[in-house]
Amino acid sequence: MWDTARMDVKRVVDVIRVDPSTVTTGTPVEKAPEPELGTAIIPAERYYSEEFMKLEWERVWTKVWLLGGRADDISEPGDYICTDIGKESVLIVRQHDGALRAFPNVCLHRGNRLRPEGLGNATEFRCMYHHWTYGLDGVIERLPDLCTFTQGGPPGMALPSLPCTEWNSFVWFSLNPEVEPFDDYIAPLKQHLEPYHPERMAWKRDVTVEWDCNWKAAVDAFNESYHVQGVHPQLKWYLDDVNIQIDCYERHTRYMIPFATISPRVALPSQIPPAIDEIMRNAGMDPAEYEGRITDIRRDVQLFKRKHGPAQGKDYSALNDDQLTDDFHYLIFPNASLNVHADDVLMFRMRPHATDPNKMLYDVWVFELVPEGEEWPERVKHRRFKHGDRSIGQVLDQDAYNLPTVQLGMKSDNFPGLWIGEQELRIRHFHKVLDDYIYGPGGKSPDDI
Amino acid sequence: MDLGLQGKKAIVVGGARGIGFAVAEVLAREGCDIALSARGEDSVKDAVASLSRYGTKVIGKPVNVRKADEYKEWLDWAIEALDGVDVLIPLSSAGGGIGSEKYWSNAFETDVMGPVRAVEAAIPHMTKQGSGSIVLVATTSALEAMGGPQAYNAMKASLITYGKQLALAHGKDGIRVNVVSPGPVEFEGGNWDMIKGTMEKFYAAQLRQQPMGRLGKPEEIARAIVFLASEAASWCSGSHLVVDGAYTNRTHF
Repeated sequence: MWDTARMDVKRVVDVIRVDPSTVTTGTPVEKAPEPELGTAIIPAERYYSEEFMKLEWERVWTKVWLLGGRADDISEPGDYICTDIGKESVLIVRQHDGALRAFPNVCLHRGNRLRPEGLGNATEFRCMYHHWTYGLDGVIERLPDLCTFTQGGPPGMALPSLPCTEWNSFVWFSLNPEVEPFDDYIAPLKQHLEPYHPERMAWKRDVTVEWDCNWKAAVDAFNESYHVQGVHPQLKWYLDDVNIQIDCYERHTRYMIPFATISPRVALPSQIPPAIDEIMRNAGMDPAEYEGRITDIRRDVQLFKRKHGPAQGKDYSALNDDQLTDDFHYLIFPNASLNVHADDVLMFRMRPHATDPNKMLYDVWVFELVPEGEEWPERVKHRRFKHGDRSIGQVLDQDAYNLPTVQLGMKSDNFPGLWIGEQELRIRHFHKVLDDYIYGPGGKSPDDI
Repeated sequence: MDLGLQGKKAIVVGGARGIGFAVAEVLAREGCDIALSARGEDSVKDAVASLSRYGTKVIGKPVNVRKADEYKEWLDWAIEALDGVDVLIPLSSAGGGIGSEKYWSNAFETDVMGPVRAVEAAIPHMTKQGSGSIVLVATTSALEAMGGPQAYNAMKASLITYGKQLALAHGKDGIRVNVVSPGPVEFEGGNWDMIKGTMEKFYAAQLRQQPMGRLGKPEEIARAIVFLASEAASWCSGSHLVVDGAYTNRTHF
């Protein structure tokens, strides 16, 4: 852990945190042992090399569990999510018995996609080309003029089945029929994320943006808080980007950032900053009534929410006090990045482009707690656009701003790779996990990119 | 020009940061003994420690101006500890805010009753010694639109009226009263410092409206306040001085 007093700060701040020894249930807050990951450069070539992209496809994307979508989008039999990953497209379908099944979204006849990407409800999946028709379970129900296929129908007369599961309001799938059990893969994050009860939260935003960068550049961008002082100057009057706790687990990581407080990088203001004012109002407090010091607000918001949450229809009983204000940020390897909060979840899915390592798809999913007794809001519509065509909000616009130029700079002969500091430990960990998938555990040699 | 402040006793309510601290510093440098207040104990301690280097007597104690009894006790303490009061500059403020009725009572208690209670504590002593100088601090937000209709602007405006009437009433006692209205002032930890960081475009728009292309500095306001507080301004009373680098559009006839 770095010495905050020697950083570019104006003050040394001692953050009040939940005592790990008092946390027996719910999200663990204990500091995980720091992995020894060295200080080597992370080769830039892996961000633009087509060869590396191919390795990623063969050894990561087709091997791991992947986030497919939100479970409550497919609650009724026949509801399906059609989601693309790289060159593949997958149908995740709710069965008549309530179970989930996943199939490749491709007709076994001539290869046509059965459905465009998105949500829908079907009684069957009929290919538009020659009307080959598949049941919700992927079995071919109708193959026109079957007798004209002297070789018979495709093996098993069904689409191949892909592993899929439902966890914590989300559906997950894998392109790897031999993938390890999901529980093993997600460990230890079940205990971390279930207390947030995302099933009580409703869609608030569903956006996909085409970004001109490698998917890993986007994962990196959200994997450290060091960039706050660079790209989000306004957040210094909102959060503490210096006193964060980083935890690296087997393949996933997280950090915890105190919110509703002032960064040690700036002098303490005498007035409550607008963004913290908003946090207080959202909690039901009147900032004008507040008698405490600015530095006490974070703790007082926690206490207020603890006390008044139930009356507001907000059950925070599974969360610890820090979770009532702070940002707990998780990376579920390889590409799901989640900011989880007591009242909302702001998450991103970074998807590789099908053919170009210099492009990616950035999905922004926002969910908000629906207080008990309040009507469940209508599902927001999905929107898709190119980077820069529309705003995705001040903070995310700031995050997105540099990525195309990062991608360009990666290719410079004068840039061997990423020069990573301690505050960026999660980036190093992410690339180490990636290395182990690509080159086998510990198998990366110094010449490998 | 001799300001004639050597050996004078000055009370600065809200003197630990920003304009208040700058006022206390100019006064200390000019040889005044000083009693200052702030909300926080640490702020008071830091300010007193910093100002003590000028070699005059500098004392301080935290007080919440909104708590009338506590505040009156503080005023009595300050006058007694300084053994009198020649200069009074009460400038603590509750700041701005829109959306809650509570902002009005906060501004009334701090921005209006803060000065009123200080004046009432000081006037008997000043009357008795036949001399004294009071400077109230309003704002250019009382003169022109800024930040929407809010308690801060309206309550500060009342000090301009109150200051003039005090001057009329107490001239006979040898007490001068003046008002200074600063324009936007920037210092580390101040509101405009935060606005610069959190609302970059709004800040830039403010700079474009500034004839000199920048905001004021605390010491630039402090020097004007201290001048009016000093003997050098012996014929200034009932005046209202706008110190804003020509920021406000209106003509002050």
